[in-house]
Amino acid sequence: MSLELGPYELRLLTVAGCYALPVLGYQLVFGHAGALSLAQGAFFGLGAYATALLATRWGWGFLATFPASILVPVALAALVAAPVLRLRSHYFALATLGIAQVVLLAAVNWTELTGGANGLAGVPGVVFAGVPVPRGWPMLALVWGLVLAVMLASHLALRGRWSRAFALLRARPLAAAAIGLDEGRMRLAAFLASAACAGAGGALYVHTLRVVSPEALGFPVMVACLAMSVIGGAKHVLGAPLGALLLVHLPEWFRFLDLYRNVAYGAALLAAIVLAPSGIAGALARALPRRAAPAPKPQAPPAPRRPRADEGPLLAIDGLAKSFGGVRALDGVALSLRPGEILGLIGPNGSGKTTLLNLVSGFETPDRGAIRLAGARIDAMPPHAIARSGVGRTFQTPALVEEMSALDAVSLARGKELVAARPEAMHFLAEVGIGAEAAAEKVGRLPFGLRRRVELARALALQPRLLLLDEPASGLTAGEREALGNLLRRLAGQGLGLLVVEHDMPFLLGLAHRVACLDEGRLIALGTPAEVRRAPAVIAAYLGEAA
Amino acid sequence: MQRLVLACLLVLFSTAVRAQDVSIPVLVPLTGFLSLEGQSQRNGALLALRNPPPGITPRFEVADTGVSPEIAVNAFEKALGSRPLAVVASMLGTQMLAMMPLAAEAKVPLVTVSGTAKITEMGNPWVFRFFPGDAVVKTAQARYVIEELGKRRPAIVYQTTAYGQSGREHLDAMFRKLGAPPVFEEGIGVDVKDLLPVLAKVSASGADVLALQLHAPSTALLIRQAASMGLGIPIVAGSAIHQPSTAALLEPRELAGICAESAASPISGGSAALEAWIEEYRKEFQSEPDAYALAQYDGTMMVLREAAAGARTPEALARALSSARYEGLAMTYKSDGRGNMAHSAVILCYDGTSRVPQIVKRYDNIDGVL
Repeated sequence: MSLELGPYELRLLTVAGCYALPVLGYQLVFGHAGALSLAQGAFFGLGAYATALLATRWGWGFLATFPASILVPVALAALVAAPVLRLRSHYFALATLGIAQVVLLAAVNWTELTGGANGLAGVPGVVFAGVPVPRGWPMLALVWGLVLAVMLASHLALRGRWSRAFALLRARPLAAAAIGLDEGRMRLAAFLASAACAGAGGALYVHTLRVVSPEALGFPVMVACLAMSVIGGAKHVLGAPLGALLLVHLPEWFRFLDLYRNVAYGAALLAAIVLAPSGIAGALARALPRRAAPAPKPQAPPAPRRPRADEGPLLAIDGLAKSFGGVRALDGVALSLRPGEILGLIGPNGSGKTTLLNLVSGFETPDRGAIRLAGARIDAMPPHAIARSGVGRTFQTPALVEEMSALDAVSLARGKELVAARPEAMHFLAEVGIGAEAAAEKVGRLPFGLRRRVELARALALQPRLLLLDEPASGLTAGEREALGNLLRRLAGQGLGLLVVEHDMPFLLGLAHRVACLDEGRLIALGTPAEVRRAPAVIAAYLGEAA
Repeated sequence: MQRLVLACLLVLFSTAVRAQDVSIPVLVPLTGFLSLEGQSQRNGALLALRNPPPGITPRFEVADTGVSPEIAVNAFEKALGSRPLAVVASMLGTQMLAMMPLAAEAKVPLVTVSGTAKITEMGNPWVFRFFPGDAVVKTAQARYVIEELGKRRPAIVYQTTAYGQSGREHLDAMFRKLGAPPVFEEGIGVDVKDLLPVLAKVSASGADVLALQLHAPSTALLIRQAASMGLGIPIVAGSAIHQPSTAALLEPRELAGICAESAASPISGGSAALEAWIEEYRKEFQSEPDAYALAQYDGTMMVLREAAAGARTPEALARALSSARYEGLAMTYKSDGRGNMAHSAVILCYDGTSRVPQIVKRYDNIDGVL
């Protein structure tokens, strides 16, 4: 069977390849990092303009214009990254839309450079090391060769740890920071890579079209990238070419409908989104599920050096204060925790317990006071750096990705590639009593008690010096609570310091070496469990007379 | 023997029929901000293609080019599959600029009514423009403002599209040449709906006349808002307002005193042949014709006439279009050597009692080509 394609079919395939590149980039920032960037069309157009300007005004060849067309949008992305990447959700979307509008206005109005609304015509075809690459099959091969190369690079970069790291970042950003993932750096890398891919696509696009005008920077290009990404599949590398091929061809297939073709096009897109919400590639992946890798044998990593009790306090909090608007959440709290000690933290709802954990974790910045870990100030450090310095934590509700296996959830905290991390992760899972079968299961299918243990195993996988536990016994059965208590005592015996927030008084008072009680942001009692249980202020504020 | 002769005659006849059968695809913007003008362009082309001169049978398909260069090039590449004699090509300048390299490579004449100056400034011998370019119509517009209205302080409001920027450049140059440099210039996007701020700036600039270079929707919006705020200075618009479909968006009183440049104004009347054409157009499309439709009709009809006269290949047709003179319904057409076929313009004005403008001034053979 021979493959007979005319110039028209070859052009459509080539244009689809030009779009597949920015969509591959868009998958990184939108699909993986979860940031709705509306600047991808602008980066694509910038790449096109860079090639057109350098080729037509200064006669640069492809080997010079192509890298330059990648660098220009990357430079713009790097320039705007600092203010823009701090923003989230719709604020980030609006900021990137603003960037795209500025670039578009510059292209329309800076007529001396850009040719204004007419754009720049007469862009030459690709000449590769002196050899012209004519349109048709040669250009098609060049474009799709680059698409395949970027697909391969993207697949290799994301097949293991990083796709799961991004999944955690999207679903549970605080948990990602709590295991040492640097959200800012990950979002920056995705943003720059997306700009690079868009620039490459724009450069090839202008070589295919031979002319560039502000339409290449317009919102419809951005919408096309978004639609291709969503319909092809935003998280699967195959989704980019599938989405680009479909959305470039669809309007052409509907040409026979004349003026109604836009209606048909919209209806087809709607149908695709309804029938395959995770995109075509996502639907294919679901139809052809991969078997989960069997859990490896546990392998204990080298034991970390933990400070001894006589080396001074592991955690020292001094004069800590934090307000949210007019609400004073913490007011001059001072306490310390020794290595190997379990310090319970109690108090009525709203007394500041979780705020205290968030300040130690770095999720909040104190208004006043100091927090020291083994003598070093950590109150100005970002949460991922605090996690890396040896502070692990769990959350009131287990902060896990339901679609991820328990094994991979824990492996992420090891900070190395999954293949090397999984045996070590299995060790920590085994330590909290989770076997190979449950480890290979998706977290969403595990019962609540096991999820709590998975989260604890993830925190332990950091090999922290200090462990912050936010209501670890909540929702557990009596047997599970007993097992948890034994585990925590064992960990403390290994030199780990534990700060435990808990409402289950029998559990906590039987576990902690000392207990601190907060009320309205102030420390009202600190002592042994027996002392605190008898303290009138604690009885009045929290335990009540019946206790 | 008789059967043999009959067979030979049949073969000859069928060969002759095939030889007369030429493909002329129509690629025009039918959706997007230029859809009003694009539909006129399509209608003009269709009227000619459905009523070809004897000896020629055109095949044609209509394809919407939207407003993106990419869609236009895709449509053009597809149309090349029919081995066209010529292509009726989009009036949108950026789409023309995108199709032109491909037309040169495929050696196919593009017949258009695009006003964008640049398309005939690039040395592409396959472009033939049957609507007067900016060099002609903007000269007429500026001369009318200065010489007939006697104004000295013009303001220019233009669209930030290829059409708008190209027209602004020519208007600005012409006003300066006539000794009346513009006192205010501002570009607006096609999606801007509130034009009161720009009208307030025009008013504050001290301008004594407002020259427009806007597409149809923006022109109608600006005229309505100028009427409601009482701008108080004459408006001389671009060709968009001459379109009956644009004028229909406004009340006659809102159009009072508004003038505009155009290649022609079919509904304002003219020769018997033009009146007959207008009737045919109304019967065929149930709408009023405009200058774009008439210009595209003339251009397409010239292509068909040259094809009927023997120009059956794209190369022969391009040669014929480059050298021949054609008496169209709107004006006389002849190439200036760069593909500019139209060299005359008219100024028309609305009197406030109807939506049919009157031609108040003719500028024939402005560039001296005829």
